Amino acid sequence: MRALPLLSLLLGSSLTVQALAANSSPEASEWLNKLARAEQQQSYQGSFVYERNGSFSSHDIWHRVQDGKVSERLLQLDGSAQEIVRVNGKVQCVSGNLVTSVSAPPDNAARVLDPLKLMSWYDLSVSGESRVAGRDAVVVSLTPRDQHRYAFELHLDRRTGLPLRSLMLNDKGQLLERFQMTRLDTDTVPTDADLGAGAACRPVDKIAPGTSEGVAGWRSDWLPPGFELVNSSVRRDPERKSTVSSLMYDDGLARFSVFLEPIGNESGIDTRAQLGPTVAVSRRLTTPKGKVMVTVVGEIPLGTAERVALSMRAQDAQARQ
Amino acid sequence: MSREALQESLSAVMDNEADELELRRVLNAVDDAETRATWSRYQIARAAMHKELLMPKLDIASAVSAALADEAVPAKVKQGPWRSIGRLAVAASVTVAVLAGVRLYNQDEITGAQLAAQQPAQQGLSMPQVQGPAVLAGYSESNEQPTGPMANGVLQNQAGWDQRLPGYLRQHAQESALKGNETALPYARAASLENR
Repeated sequence: MRALPLLSLLLGSSLTVQALAANSSPEASEWLNKLARAEQQQSYQGSFVYERNGSFSSHDIWHRVQDGKVSERLLQLDGSAQEIVRVNGKVQCVSGNLVTSVSAPPDNAARVLDPLKLMSWYDLSVSGESRVAGRDAVVVSLTPRDQHRYAFELHLDRRTGLPLRSLMLNDKGQLLERFQMTRLDTDTVPTDADLGAGAACRPVDKIAPGTSEGVAGWRSDWLPPGFELVNSSVRRDPERKSTVSSLMYDDGLARFSVFLEPIGNESGIDTRAQLGPTVAVSRRLTTPKGKVMVTVVGEIPLGTAERVALSMRAQDAQARQ
Repeated sequence: MSREALQESLSAVMDNEADELELRRVLNAVDDAETRATWSRYQIARAAMHKELLMPKLDIASAVSAALADEAVPAKVKQGPWRSIGRLAVAASVTVAVLAGVRLYNQDEITGAQLAAQQPAQQGLSMPQVQGPAVLAGYSESNEQPTGPMANGVLQNQAGWDQRLPGYLRQHAQESALKGNETALPYARAASLENR
């Protein structure tokens, strides 16, 4: 008899999964699987452009899969030479501007697109065909099931499944950012020289899994559905001599960070802003330990960020009540 | 609960003086259209007082209410067109108020290029091409000593802008990029923040 509740639970959960999946097409999730596999199995090189409000830049990418080892190098072609080199998802080096006080998160295992997880929060569908960088593409749409995330339109290479174009759109259909390949070569495997880092690319410090006590002191009363904590860190800001705790949340596709910093009695300012795909909302919060500035930064709608910022609580304050 | 008590709580939340109970009261009451309208008005008034430059294209009232109204959505559908007209009216008045506030209080800080950049955004465009002039306007401005990584974005020349924000934006973008995502997108976002 003890198995009965378990059985009903299992049945219930499988029904839920089916109900959730009903709005997503198997073809679309197969394409996303193909995309995830392609990044692990396909060597390529090419160029892409990235555009958001007020910024347009071009980049080269080299990606090599050899003996189960995935090496990747990205280099910005205009402006300053931003560069990053990764091997098996682990960052080897980053160019000067990109690295500032940020160390590699202790657990930076490659995260892979998981259609099964995504279809709980997005409706996946194949919405058409297109041609990008001279190649035939399949258009996969990820439409959010609630108002807490943005829509994506992915144009995937019909031959390999690699992303040729990625658009992020808000609920009014306005374009927030555009990633687009302008050239893709999947036949020429990048050489060691292609993948070699430039002189300006500096190795990333490996930090010991940080003291999480500061971060553990915080919890959120409310999170948009599907977002899970994927990273947390505490760092000292040398300029302001303060401790900044950060928490990063992820729904499998979209991401936002919550920053918590004591501000003493100085007057911080509550702000809200949108920078292309990224919003920032900051609020002052009074806790038993003093004033704290809560800032939510991420690729989520403004209202959602605002609600997250309103929902952060100091944990020990709760325990004391 | 009386409307006055609710408005006091709302005001307290706005000023970061709310206790846990008041915050809960407000969060429970945000289903109500009138409360949301009050919230929007307070935000505008506050922003004007603090001389914050609100981006007119950010439809704060509807964005916040959309995020907060999720539980209430199915129940309220049958309430007919008045509700949405009301929302529209609120959104419209917020936009007007923000524009007015920006002009009144920030006139000396706004350059022509910034206004030009804001104007096309105002028309609810969905065509990316229409962003062309905005980008160009932003570029023509760029010989004026951009000061930080935000120089290309909407944060330019903001009086009283919190100096922590650029650092936070950068950390978020970089940690996303370092996370070893399967696409180049987080890297591109991080790089675009660094362009000046």
